[in-house]
Amino acid sequence: MIKSVLLSAAGLRLGYRDVSVVDNVSFQLARGDVLAVVGHNGSGKSTLIKTLLGALPTLAGNMSWPAGPPQRIAYLGQRTEFDSRFPIRVRDLAAMGAWSGLGFLGRVDDACRSRIEAALTRTGTAQIADMPLHKLSAGQLQRALFARTMVQDAPLILLDEPFTAVDQTTEAALLDLIDSWAAEGRAVILVLHDLSAVLQHCNSALLLGDGRALFGTPKETLAPRNLLDMGYMSRGQAAWIEGMYTQEEAGRV
Amino acid sequence: MFEWLDYAFMIRALTATTVLSFSVAPVGAFLVLRRLSLAGEAMAHAIVPGIVIAFVVAGLSVASMIVGGLTAGIAVAALTSLLARLTIIREDASLASLYLIALALGIFILSAAGSAVPLKSFLFGSILGIDDETLILIGATATITLVSFALILRPLITNTIDPVFHESQSKRPGLVTQWFMFLVVLNLLGAFKALGTLMAVGLMILPATAARYWVSTITSYLIVTFVFALLSCWIGLIVSFYLPDVPSGPAIVLVAAVFFIVSLIFAPQGFHAGLRLNPFRRRRLPETQSNLNKGDNVYEETH
Repeated sequence: MIKSVLLSAAGLRLGYRDVSVVDNVSFQLARGDVLAVVGHNGSGKSTLIKTLLGALPTLAGNMSWPAGPPQRIAYLGQRTEFDSRFPIRVRDLAAMGAWSGLGFLGRVDDACRSRIEAALTRTGTAQIADMPLHKLSAGQLQRALFARTMVQDAPLILLDEPFTAVDQTTEAALLDLIDSWAAEGRAVILVLHDLSAVLQHCNSALLLGDGRALFGTPKETLAPRNLLDMGYMSRGQAAWIEGMYTQEEAGRV
Repeated sequence: MFEWLDYAFMIRALTATTVLSFSVAPVGAFLVLRRLSLAGEAMAHAIVPGIVIAFVVAGLSVASMIVGGLTAGIAVAALTSLLARLTIIREDASLASLYLIALALGIFILSAAGSAVPLKSFLFGSILGIDDETLILIGATATITLVSFALILRPLITNTIDPVFHESQSKRPGLVTQWFMFLVVLNLLGAFKALGTLMAVGLMILPATAARYWVSTITSYLIVTFVFALLSCWIGLIVSFYLPDVPSGPAIVLVAAVFFIVSLIFAPQGFHAGLRLNPFRRRRLPETQSNLNKGDNVYEETH
């Protein structure tokens, strides 16, 4: 099956005003793709996300949307500025995903309401839908935010380090959700540090580091030599990863 | 017992503060939610020189007061963010410095110009000061505020809970913040005659903090804030009627303080919750939670 290309980026230079953070970023994203973005702190991961959202212009290069730019881009950022004491229930937090499509005075209609309920069920937050945010655990809050992301119902979904501060069970459940989004034909771009999750759930990877970028399948891109060259990990850590890859190969044989 | 109903100025003051309560309640609620309570207080003082200069130049007219107050408020807000961006001083210290200068300047000019308005009613409000023009100002303020909230409520909620998400969804994410600060200044001006410049922000903040102890949803929060603000105004005005030397501003704010203290003690999210949230007191996970997310702290507070 030939996947239809959603976004094609060639030779992008990304940064703030005149300061370039990363240069020569090229990648392709098709419907049903899950693209992992990996890189050390300050390598340009967040800059890339902001550029895709339209908050920053590209400094050079070409970003093209063969089927036209998407009407909506779903986005789940890091929770550094999130206010969990705001008096709102989980169901309303999920509903926020639909608000930007409603205009100023549009009402949440039945179709939208059933989309919200479906998202709550899929993320396992239906039982806590009436709980206020300040009573949620970090994992429950992240599930609720995934529900909001689903309610956005967008062809392109950007997730910026979505598994920070959540436990392994929650991470596994959320990764399954991401797989199901890809199966629905949505494209997902995922900023991630968990390399085993990248290898298992992503079909392409973009490695950023030292002002450069590498793109390809996760296994090629995240080869220990590349991770070392791009400043993502130390020699010792790279050797450990090498061991992990070898074990996986052995397992397959 | 109801002799205050026989006085036209009391009816006028009650009408004015009733309309004002509709307006200041949502503004106060979002000042509290956006962690801007102290910035609201500072802004109330920052508009003083504008009002005073307008008063000295153009006399006691509502139009000049609005122009002067808005100019001073916007100037202080803009200077604050400029100083925070361009110098090492952070936003809170810049704002504190500027509002203190503004307040001192305002009172200095008011006294030096030998004002006809007594300083006490300028600072603390007077129910006798509510004339037709003030009623129109309060009516217009409430109309603009309520229409604005109908339009910006959703983006304002999104921006308050999750500014990063709001930025991703909005073409001009700063607009909602600027519009909200404009509403704050407008409401301070609306409340100025009845409550005075030192007390105006009290009617915004205290009912909103008191209400926060009782509610878990934004709709109920706005309603309870409004009820507390309204009752504070009515009871405060009647107290001020029976004790003629007490200005209306402190009387209203003290009634709001009673609501605050009662809520603090008896409301479900007051002291009770504080004891429950205490990290030093170990507590078993409630049964309904335990199966959802083993190992997570149910009452974790991230902020």
